[in-house]
Amino acid sequence: MATDLKAWIAEGNTVESRADMNEEYYRTLRDTLIIVGDTELLSVFALRRALDNAPNLNAKITALAIMQDEIGHAHIAYRLLADLGEDIDALVYEREPRQFKHPYAFDFAYDGSWAELAVFNAFFDRAGFVLLGDAYANTSYGPWKRALAKVDKEELFHVRNGEVWMRTLMENEETRADVQRAVDWMFPLAVEFFGLPDNLKTRNTQLEYRIKGSTNDQLRQKWLREVVPFCESIGVRVPAHYDEEKGEYVLDYPFPCHFDEEAKQWRFDQPCTWDDVIARFKRRGPKCEEFVAELRKGYREIARLREAG
Amino acid sequence: MREQATIEVNRLWEALRAVKDPEFPVSVVDLGLIYALRVEGEGRVVVDMTYTSTACGCMEWIEEDIRRCLLQEPGVEEVIINVVWDPPWTKERMNEAARQRFREWGISL
Repeated sequence: MATDLKAWIAEGNTVESRADMNEEYYRTLRDTLIIVGDTELLSVFALRRALDNAPNLNAKITALAIMQDEIGHAHIAYRLLADLGEDIDALVYEREPRQFKHPYAFDFAYDGSWAELAVFNAFFDRAGFVLLGDAYANTSYGPWKRALAKVDKEELFHVRNGEVWMRTLMENEETRADVQRAVDWMFPLAVEFFGLPDNLKTRNTQLEYRIKGSTNDQLRQKWLREVVPFCESIGVRVPAHYDEEKGEYVLDYPFPCHFDEEAKQWRFDQPCTWDDVIARFKRRGPKCEEFVAELRKGYREIARLREAG
Repeated sequence: MREQATIEVNRLWEALRAVKDPEFPVSVVDLGLIYALRVEGEGRVVVDMTYTSTACGCMEWIEEDIRRCLLQEPGVEEVIINVVWDPPWTKERMNEAARQRFREWGISL
């Protein structure tokens, strides 16, 4: 291991195994990969309910292919963790549901309309594509970088599915309102995906060790640069616009603000603090326990049969 | 009466290079999915195409992309797509550009 690991990485060297890491690098990488694995895996349970709304068989097959991809991506992240010595069975099957690190946005069932699946793919998979694309381009951890070649292509497929469906649904009088309704509650959830604003972060080991290459706000901007013009081009209203003077996208609502979980409505007239947001993330959303139980159902069932002999 | 733009088939092939397979960003032309492109009558373009699999869930998506793309070309008023299963698609139908992309992504051919 290099004596000054950060400098060694800054020279462009790649970390390949535990032997190349210090404890801080290892912990940061492990925490990052747990977030990635949990996010990929739990997205499936959030989306699964949307299948009942599929307008035709091919739409359903495509959505299933996307869910299959996500399970594959989760498998890749957990496999990388297993190679680092983590106990994956304990992570997936023993953790308290509220200890999972997927985004709060995945603690809801997206079963309101087919438009919710479209917006899920166009917004949340786009967020994943931005975050993982950054890791793919910049990460100092070689095994992850190589594994992301496949993930990157597949996430783009998910994003395109979402955008194709959003455009199609906007062209139909009967489904236009569904899209706008989905966007109204899902857009701010996606903006939150990128975490704390940079000015509130005291230190950033992920960046210091180049686990990832860009800051939260840079990645959020990248997402806004893609999503806002796309929504405007198909006639969807979003609470953000390009600010000529600042040369960046700005939100048209206080960030953060209160979210009414029951009504799935943002209270733009009720600003809150990031401490409030973190508390909400930690409480987890309404479906967290149900989804984790669903994930474990087969595992538990097999264990029960084994015990019964 | 509006002057009818002459549709150049070569331009249509070129335009279709922008239509990518949904799962892997490789053009449908490089993948060898487009069997024939012809102009029939005024403003009507006919596409003979196939898919890599009869169970492809993205058929409407790809056809919609092709339609949108060709309708942007001067003189094109209508696009008719015929799906053909004979001859069946095989990996041999991919050109070198497509093979190169798959190699870059570490996908065996």
